[in-house]
Amino acid sequence: MEVFFNLALNGLATGMLIFLLAAGLTLIFGLMDVLNFAHGGLFAWGAYSGTWIYATTGSFFIGIIGAIITGLILGMITERFIIKPVYGNHVQQILITLGLMLVLSELLKVVWGPNQLSAVAPSFLQGSWEVGNIIIIKYRVFIILVGLLVFLAVQYVLKNTKIGLVVRAGVMNKEMVQALGINIKKVFMLVFMIGAAMAALGGVLLGPYSGVIHAEMGMEFAILAFIVVVIGGMGSFPGSILAAILVGLSGSFMAYYVPDLALAANMLLMVVVLIFRPQGLFGMKG
Amino acid sequence: MIKEKKNLFYGLIAVMLLVLPFVYDSRSMIILLTQVFIFAMFAMSYDLLLGYTGIVSFGHAMFFGIGAYTIGIFMKQFEPTVPYFLLAVLVTVVLTAILSYIVGLLTLRLKSHFYAMLTLAFAGLFLVLAEKWRSLTYGNDGFTFRTPEVFRDRFDFYLICLVAMILVFVLLTRFTNSPLGRVLQAIRENEPRAESLGYSVIQYKIIASVVSGVIAGLAGILYSMSLRFVNTSVFTMDITLDALLMTIIGGVGTLVGAIVGAGIIEFAHHWLTQLAKVHWIFERWIILFGIVYILAVMFFPKGIVGTLQNMKKRKKHTVENKDDKNISG
Amino acid sequence: MSAQLKLNNVETYIGQFHILQGISFEVRKGEVTVLLGRNGAGKTTTLRTIMGLNPASKGQVQFNGEDIHSLPTYQIAQKGIGYVPEDQGIFAQLTVEENMKVAMKSDNDQTQARLHYILDLFPDLKTFWKKPGGLLSGGQKQMLSIARAYINENELLLIDEPSKGLAPIVVEKVMESIMEMKENTTIVLVEQNFMMASTIGDRFYIIDDGKTVQSGEMQVLKDDQDMRRKYLGIA
Ligand SMILES: Nc1ncnc2c1ncn2[C@@H]1O[C@H](COP(=O)(O)OP(=O)(O)OP(=O)(O)O)[C@@H](O)[C@H]1O
Ligand SMILES: [Mg+2]
Repeated sequence: MEVFFNLALNGLATGMLIFLLAAGLTLIFGLMDVLNFAHGGLFAWGAYSGTWIYATTGSFFIGIIGAIITGLILGMITERFIIKPVYGNHVQQILITLGLMLVLSELLKVVWGPNQLSAVAPSFLQGSWEVGNIIIIKYRVFIILVGLLVFLAVQYVLKNTKIGLVVRAGVMNKEMVQALGINIKKVFMLVFMIGAAMAALGGVLLGPYSGVIHAEMGMEFAILAFIVVVIGGMGSFPGSILAAILVGLSGSFMAYYVPDLALAANMLLMVVVLIFRPQGLFGMKG
Repeated sequence: MIKEKKNLFYGLIAVMLLVLPFVYDSRSMIILLTQVFIFAMFAMSYDLLLGYTGIVSFGHAMFFGIGAYTIGIFMKQFEPTVPYFLLAVLVTVVLTAILSYIVGLLTLRLKSHFYAMLTLAFAGLFLVLAEKWRSLTYGNDGFTFRTPEVFRDRFDFYLICLVAMILVFVLLTRFTNSPLGRVLQAIRENEPRAESLGYSVIQYKIIASVVSGVIAGLAGILYSMSLRFVNTSVFTMDITLDALLMTIIGGVGTLVGAIVGAGIIEFAHHWLTQLAKVHWIFERWIILFGIVYILAVMFFPKGIVGTLQNMKKRKKHTVENKDDKNISG
Repeated sequence: MSAQLKLNNVETYIGQFHILQGISFEVRKGEVTVLLGRNGAGKTTTLRTIMGLNPASKGQVQFNGEDIHSLPTYQIAQKGIGYVPEDQGIFAQLTVEENMKVAMKSDNDQTQARLHYILDLFPDLKTFWKKPGGLLSGGQKQMLSIARAYINENELLLIDEPSKGLAPIVVEKVMESIMEMKENTTIVLVEQNFMMASTIGDRFYIIDDGKTVQSGEMQVLKDDQDMRRKYLGIA
């Protein structure tokens, strides 16, 4: 029972981190038809910049804000200078975003050196609660709450605001949105920036969770996020959180019972989805 | 006539490379060039996908790695003899063919994103497999092994790799100019149109994917034989990135571009890593190539060779146009 | 009377295909101008070119005397042109209400009043107000698409084959609504249904093989059986 509970909590927390990465990927893909292979790089930049700011200022909160701002700025630059020139050409987009991924992770090493950085949770998030004989680690609960909060906030914006309406309409029919007098390019940039900021937030939250951060983890998490996007359905925002939780939980349980197959299990899940339901479990686009 | 000139030029370079070890006896240069040949094969196999069929794979390293590990395991677990070498080649061909067939079947009917993503994830899986299956792979550290007698001499091995590269080049040139290769290019140019002309696009794409996977596997064999060592790095994204950089910077859809690209990247890697002793920034030389790569994708999507060819063609065109005007005027 | 919309020798490529090869026509303010022509003649492409969805590569498109052919689609729409595409362009997963809201530039009293007026014109939309657009019938989708183009005070409406695939009784309803909108809006109508075209049209242009080949008052076409047979394949 304790093991089960712990694994579930762990899986949920990891799932939320993957969700923060996958949410941006799926929104950007749904709206702009761009699969951003540099998304993991934005995640890693969020992790490094946030951890560094946290270490320098001593405030975890300022570190998080710093990561988000880093994400917004990098998102803006990426959209404007890397993605925009190659809109509409899938092959070029895929190639160029991968190139950006390479540059982003190498630049990390230039700025912060090639070694990993370590991070610990701020004191108020350290330690755990004991309920009966179940130990609940505070920081994991924190990650889960932040993830849920982000999900609810984005979901609220999508459902209840004009800009959210435009984004949802744009996912279905970009031409019509423009024919109704809306400058979709501006919406693209906004969505890209928000997607990048969510990834950066995921990155900085990962620091105290895993204890250390290194440049390669951008790609590691990005692969999980791609799996999530395929399972959840490209372009489906609610799909991304459900699939992320699924992948997080299966990863956590598999890692405990059959550690060697943890990644394989998720991959297999993706393959099955690709064969039988290429539009994803919750998606509408193929 | 132009084609003959081109062939003559290629032939000349091939001969020069063949006699090079007899006149310029530098061990490090021979080793470096051997690497270039091996990666040129690998990059050409990548070009068949990207340049000739318009498929983006982010997991090409897995085929390379399968070849590298298969030969290593055979040489280590059995005997470093020619029969076992041949058996390893056969096993590599079968494994890579099956794997590329399955991956292609799963994703090639979907948007290009899926192929890129699935190959990326699959390669990740093989990396984990190589790390975990310690009884065969010795985990992260990898293992050294002995190669059959005939491959031990550096100069002989140089010649073998050169011949292998030339063979792959000739074969792929034939392949891409065959009716089948033309269909592939038609698919790249306009997939719906090729489909409407009655070609089973997916079949052709799968064929390309299989041929490419097998050649990448063979390149992997030569790679680990040149080092007499293999570790998990052969499955990493870096290997795929090498192929990408070489193909894009050299020029997609030209095959020669892949060779030129392999030469540039390998030499740059060699020199710039040496410069790292001067300043650590040179250890991050890959940034430079990342930026060149991004700019190439944006502004010179045809790479060095493609751009040169275009310039030549344009020159020819303008000359022809002038002639036209002379005739009409 | 001055032309509100004017196309001058417009040519458009889609990919490498030369689809429009010389389209010229004038739309007078307050009139209904009908574009006719057989299937594949280029009527839809003409409307898409006006909207900037398939931009013209040659020639001019002028709206109220201003060149608009090099503007992006959203700016063309903002100039006061509403578009009802051939496939209606309904956002299937958005409700009828949300479909209308995407289009509404503002949410003030004036727009609300206009919305009420439109919903009186198309009572079905009121009934299905909270239903996803994808669940509407063909006729209701057509009405939603027209309503959506009409919600802002656009000076010009481009409507592409509103009668397509609709039962005669529904066609009549759609026709009535267009007659009503005609009172305060200029309309360019692509229509194969000659009964509808001749009833509401003031002026016609015939497009054939990507070129405008005939034009005149609607009455001319009504009287000229030969022309109808030649270009439209109807008696
Ligand atoms: N995306 C495209 N690619 C290639 N050709 C196209 C494309 N769209 C349209 N065409 C061609 O352009 C021509 C004009 O098409 P368009 O849709 O404008 O005709 P239309 O007059 O509206 O016909 P209909 O009455 O059938 O709606 C047709 O021959 C069509 O095949
Ligand atoms: Mg039409």
